[in-house]
Formats: sequence, structure tokens, C-alpha cells
Amino acid sequence: MMVNLGLLINPVAGMGGRVGLKGTDGLVQEALMRGASPGSLARTVRFLRALPSSDVLFLTCSGDMGEAAFIEAGYRRCRVVYRYSGESTAADTKEACRTFLREGVSLILFCGGDGTARDVLEGSGGRTPILGIPAGVKMYSGVFALTPESAAALVSEWNGQCREAEVLDVDEDAYRKGELRTRLYGFARVPAMQGMVQHSKDVFESSDEESAKADIAMFLAEVIMGTPKTLYLLGPGSTTLRIASAFGLEKSLLGFDAVMGGHLVGRDLDERAILALLEKTDHARIIVSPLGMQGAVLGRGTQQISPGVIRKVGVENVIVIATPQKLAGTPSLFVDTGDPALDRAFGGTIRVITGYHVARRRALLSPAEWAGSSLR
Amino acid sequence: MQSKILLEEDEMPKRWYNVQADLPSPLDPPLHPATKKLVTPDDLRVIFPMELIRQEMSPQRYIDIPEEVREILTLWRPSPLYRAKRLEKALKTPAKIYYKYEGVSPPGSHKPNTAVAQAYYNMKEGIERIATETGAGQWGSALAFATSQFGLGCTVYMVRSSYAQKPYRKIMMQVWGAECIPSPSTKTNAGRTILEKYPETSGSLGIAISEAVEDAATHENTNYSLGSVLNHVCLHQTVVGLEAKEQLAMVDSYPDMVIGCVGGGSNFAGISFPFAGDKLTGRRKDVEIVAVEPAACPTLTKGIYTYDYGDVAGLTPLLKMYTLGHDFIPAAIHAGGLRYHGDSPLVSRFVHDGVMRAVAYNQNEVFEAAKLFAQTEGIIIAPETAHAVKAVVDEAMKCRQTGEEKVILFNNSGHGHFDLSAYDIYLQGRLEDYEYPTDLIRDSLARLPKVS
Ligand SMILES: Cc1ncc(COP(=O)(O)O)c(C=O)c1O
Repeated sequence: MMVNLGLLINPVAGMGGRVGLKGTDGLVQEALMRGASPGSLARTVRFLRALPSSDVLFLTCSGDMGEAAFIEAGYRRCRVVYRYSGESTAADTKEACRTFLREGVSLILFCGGDGTARDVLEGSGGRTPILGIPAGVKMYSGVFALTPESAAALVSEWNGQCREAEVLDVDEDAYRKGELRTRLYGFARVPAMQGMVQHSKDVFESSDEESAKADIAMFLAEVIMGTPKTLYLLGPGSTTLRIASAFGLEKSLLGFDAVMGGHLVGRDLDERAILALLEKTDHARIIVSPLGMQGAVLGRGTQQISPGVIRKVGVENVIVIATPQKLAGTPSLFVDTGDPALDRAFGGTIRVITGYHVARRRALLSPAEWAGSSLR
Repeated sequence: MQSKILLEEDEMPKRWYNVQADLPSPLDPPLHPATKKLVTPDDLRVIFPMELIRQEMSPQRYIDIPEEVREILTLWRPSPLYRAKRLEKALKTPAKIYYKYEGVSPPGSHKPNTAVAQAYYNMKEGIERIATETGAGQWGSALAFATSQFGLGCTVYMVRSSYAQKPYRKIMMQVWGAECIPSPSTKTNAGRTILEKYPETSGSLGIAISEAVEDAATHENTNYSLGSVLNHVCLHQTVVGLEAKEQLAMVDSYPDMVIGCVGGGSNFAGISFPFAGDKLTGRRKDVEIVAVEPAACPTLTKGIYTYDYGDVAGLTPLLKMYTLGHDFIPAAIHAGGLRYHGDSPLVSRFVHDGVMRAVAYNQNEVFEAAKLFAQTEGIIIAPETAHAVKAVVDEAMKCRQTGEEKVILFNNSGHGHFDLSAYDIYLQGRLEDYEYPTDLIRDSLARLPKVS
């Protein structure tokens, strides 16, 4: 058990500062849903109360950015290392993270939404693991525990192993044009849930995540080699990165790259470039990994893969990959392409490749079902 | 309406039915694993008694069941044929569902039907010990029971994941006097090789078979015994179908559809071959015969029909069958007895020729059907059996739509009293549905078994 953890709270609605909350009514409402909320303080108190022991020393921020929650929860072992004045801003979040790093914390906890996650990633530089306590609003990044209580369980059972997780936030460029979309901003390291990855003694799926990634990558690299006339759109993440590196290709970490017959035919493509490539090919497949913990397969941070692209490729040609470890922490999967009919075309279940020649079948929720199941 | 239809002890079949006699052309023969030439009886003598080798290749339609074997079988045979009235009612189906209940045997499944016969022939030829493998533990406990009846020693290599998951099966074997070893073990070359490569392996039937075969081949007084797949095993199981036919005749019925779950194919062969014979000879052309397997190990639905080894190490003869490749290690689903890469050559041939067809299901839907069965018919069935029940439920629901009063017969191959931890995981919603991504594997040009 580590002793030094950083904890910060984003006490204000996050969206306002970033994108100005203009646009249509519907947009404002959803945008509000996505920001941190005043609930973040109460959520952090729940987290602290759920910790099984109180020997962990927390470094935190003054007032509503942290300390207030410790007082409310009656949790004593905390030290304020960052003080802010006035209304807290994104700059405070980033600066608090840098302070935590200087103090040598082994994990940064934060309570907020996707915007906060993005600030924390930026402030912490991506090497120190982070974990989000969900602030009770909708969020999509894979860095959030499902509930404050599960965040507490994760922290207390953590043995230092990490997983990569996606950080998504509102796409500012799109927002300025009046569209609300999420965009993948980067990957953070989050604690891996050992306890939840059971049955790991089986050879058919690797018991540690790195070899599981290698197994999945080897399988799909063989598939790509066996189908030289198929165009593959490789989504973001380190597993797809490995698939590409099997061919000596350097894939973009955050974007969709196109590979055919072992050659890179396009890097970090946007929707138009993808459609143009699809015009020239008879058969294409999309390889994506769902967002950890939150479970979006498509439609969060994958704006390149528009409904038009998916229809052209065909839902049956969407190959979903995920390590057993990632799936263990991701209770429900969903697609939200923006086109409900297309979402339904995926059916009620989806196959996820989890190892070399191994797959699992998981329930696939509609965006509405997912929202119902995950707003805890 | 009766709940069950019973036969008297002296009405138990006196002969097994050998479906090979009614094949339009002979089965492709087994090949020697090293030379790839036809296997001779002498090749098999190292591990099997002569009478079983004869039965394996016999063209004779009926083969007498020895009196000593029948005597032991009467401990639980003839087994009851049930009319699943309560399940029918719950499904609101016009279909008439019958099932043969093999869970009444001392080990709780159909497996002793052949274990007793095999132990007998080995005893007759002066063999002192039998080595075998077991997946879920059903076969191991059946052979432990059978060998104890004839005073033979018994060594069972039990797939490691089941050894851990099902300690009670292991204890049963020990009560009957058998030795039970988790596989892969360090006792054999085959086991040691696998352990070196995959120290964490959960094991598989294919690996355990390699170990048992090696044990038998390297010990003079020891023979090997296989609980499924081979023709003589399927032969011994035909008592199930023969009795069922008699029992249905007692209520003037004959099935439109015969259903069984398939691991290596023996219980399915047992219930279906007497009816397949009617189909082959044209007496009953329309009887539909359906094999049910797990989506995680879809041998008949997704495998290829070719020669492959029966085990991982490639020690067994090459059999012409549907296979996923002898090095295929299936996901650790709870129906351990269905985790086998290949299938009975006879069942494979029938599926290939269209005499039978196959379907595959995922674990969760299978357990859902098992729960429904328990809540209607009362019996908590084995997860293997539950695959058959899922198919029965689906077929009965189709009848509900079409209004057809189909007579559906299935083999309730065993109870699930030692599988309760699997039910527990299902009830907690923690059961994973594993699948074999055949389409992608085909695309990947990965090595499928290559035998010319
Ligand atoms: C209850 C039960 N049913 C079915 C099977 C599958 O074997 P087979 O296909 O040989 O009948 C097993 C194997 O262990 C079993 O225990």
C-alpha cells in the first residue's frame, strides 16, 4: 500500500470556462451534464468514507479543491500542499498536479469530469498514474472509476500495476462550429484492477496485460497478413500500435491509421480522407478498442469514424479488441455513433477479441441504456 | 399423462447397435500417427484390449452385451424416460418433449455405460490397471466406479482447471479407489513438455489424453481407456437410444427430433444412433438429429472435416473428424466435458453427410435454460447437458410459433450436483461468454491441422 497520494477536486462546473456554453439549448444541456458539478465535494467525501483504512496520507489542495472534503469526512491524514485563491481554474488543477509530482506522490486522485481529467493529464505529464472519482455527471474518459466506492476499493487494493486509459473531452474546434463531440486527447496511466481480473491462470488468455496485448496484436497482425486486399483502419491505443509495429509501421497514438497488405496507406486520417480511401477499396475493417471502464466502442473520441464511414465499412467489419484486464473493469459496452438506427444494427451483443484466437461475447447497450446504467 | 416411462430390468437391451453396419460406405480408417499408414490392430494392442479393437472396426450390426456387464448396468438401467410436461407447460409449447435421464447412474452420468464394458474387457485380458483422462471429472469418476466393480487399478489424469474447480469429483474417484492426478503433471513426458512451455496452463482434455496414453504405453500391465470419441465408446452408449426407442414405443411415439450435447460425441451417439440407423436405412427418413456444442469450442459448426490427432502431443491415431486443430486449447467454460478440439468420427461423418446437424450456444444462455429446467423438471443438470436443453427450449419455442406438435427426444446426460460453483457464478452474473473467432482465424491463414 502506497502512503502518498495526491487528491484534488474541481469544485466548479467545468465546461463553462472552456467552451463558453453557447449554442443550442440541447447542446448547453448536454454540455452541462458533462462538466464537473457541485456534487464533486460530496462524491469525494463518499470516496474518503469508503476507504477501508485511514492510514493513507493524502496531499491535497486548500478549501473546496480538497481540504473541505477531508474535514467533512473526518479524515485526518491529509496535508495541504497547494493553495488557490478566488475561483479555482484549470490552471489551478494543473499547478496542483505539478506540486503533487514534486512531493513524490504515487497516484493522483481527482474528482471532476472529462475536462478535469484532461487538465490532470496535462499537469501530471502522463507518467504518474491518475484515477478519477466520478463527480456524478456523464463522462467518457477511461480514467474514472465507476463509483466513489469502487475508486476507494481500487486504491486500497492497488499493487502498483497500471493500465493505459483514454482521456476524452469536448472537441473544442467542433464545439465552436456548434457541434458537440468528444475527442481523444491522450492516454493516461490508471491503476489496474488485480482483484477483478479473475481466472487468470488460463493459457488461452494471458494473465498479464502486456502479454495479452501482444497476443491480440499477433492474432490481428496475422489476420491482416492473411487478407492483403482488405483495408484496415486501426484506431487509437497501444494494442493497435503493436499491430502496426508487427509490420514495422509507426502508428499515430491518438488517430486512425490505414493499413493494407502490411503497408501504411494513411496516417491520422480524418473522416474525408477515410471516405476517400474507402471509395477505392472493396473490403475494409475497423479495429477499435473500447474506452476502459466507461465502455464506448465507437462514438466517443472517434469522430473520424462517422456513421457514413461505418455504413460503408459495414457493422460486421468492426473488430473490437480489448485485454481481459480492460474488460474486467468495463462492465458495459455501448456504441453511440450519433445514428440510432446504425447503433441498433450492431445488435444486442458484440464480440471482443481478448487474446490469440480467443474472443468473448458481451452485451452491447444502447446509449440510453448505458446512461441509465452508469449514472451512479 | 405419465411423468416417466419405465422398462423392467430384463427389458434392458441385450445387444448394442453398431451404426457402422448401416453406413452407405465405410468410415475413413484411422491412420498411424507416425507413418500415416492405416492403423493395424497390432498398433492398438499396446493400449487397448483386443475385443475393443474388434468392436472399433466391426461391420456387424448388433454386438452382444456380456452378461457380467449387463449385471452391473442393472444397478441403474434401464434408465427412466421422462415426459417433460412441466417444461412444456412453462414454454407453452405444443411440442412433446421426452428425455432419457442418465443421471441415475452411481457416478451421475451416461459415462459408466461404456466404462463398465471397457473395464470388463480389460479385466478379461488380464490387465491390472487402466489409465485415462477426465475433463469435468464425469468420465474419471465413471471409470473409477467401473474399475472398482472388477477390482482393477485406475489412474485418472484430470484437467487442471477442473481439478481445482471440482474437488468433489476427485474425491469420488478416490472413494472408488482410483488415483487422480492434475494434468499436465510431471509424471509424463507430455505433461512436462507442456508445463515447461505454459507453467500456468489450465490444461485441456487433449493434454490429459496425451498423458494417459503415454502412461498406458509405457506400462506393461496398464491399458488406456477413452471415455468418448471412439466407435466402441459410441457403441456402448447405444443402450440409451435403444431403451428410449422401446420406451417411446410403449406410448406409441417416435421422435421427430433427437437432440444431445456433444463433447466427444458419446452421449449424443448413444441417444441418436439407433434413430440415425432408421434414417440411413430409410425406415424413418424425416427424423431430425441435432448435435449441440459450446460456441467457445465449436468443433462441428466451425471446425474442418479432416484427419487430426486426438490429443495435443500427437500420440493417438489420426482420426477423420471435425476438428479445431489438436493444439487448440479451448476457453475454460464450465462445461468441461465439451472442451475437446475434435469429435467422434461417426458423428463427424453424419454431420458432414447431412444426416445430422449441429448448433452452438454461449454459456449464459445455456445456464439460463438449465435454470428453467431445474425450476420446471426439478433436476439440476450438468452444464454439458444444459447445452442440449437450450437447443430443446429453442426448438420447442419454434413449435409454439408454428403450432407443430413435434416429438422432441433429448439425452439428459447427467446431473450437475458437482457443478454448483458454475451455477453460482452464473447466478452472480459473472459468467463470461467465450467465443472462437473462426472467421478471423480462417483469414489469418494460421495453421489448421495439415494432414495429407
Ligand atoms: C454429463 C455429461 N454430458 C456430456 C458430456 C460430453 O461427452 P460426450 O460428448 O462424450 O457425451 C460429458 C463429458 O464429460 C458429461 O459429463
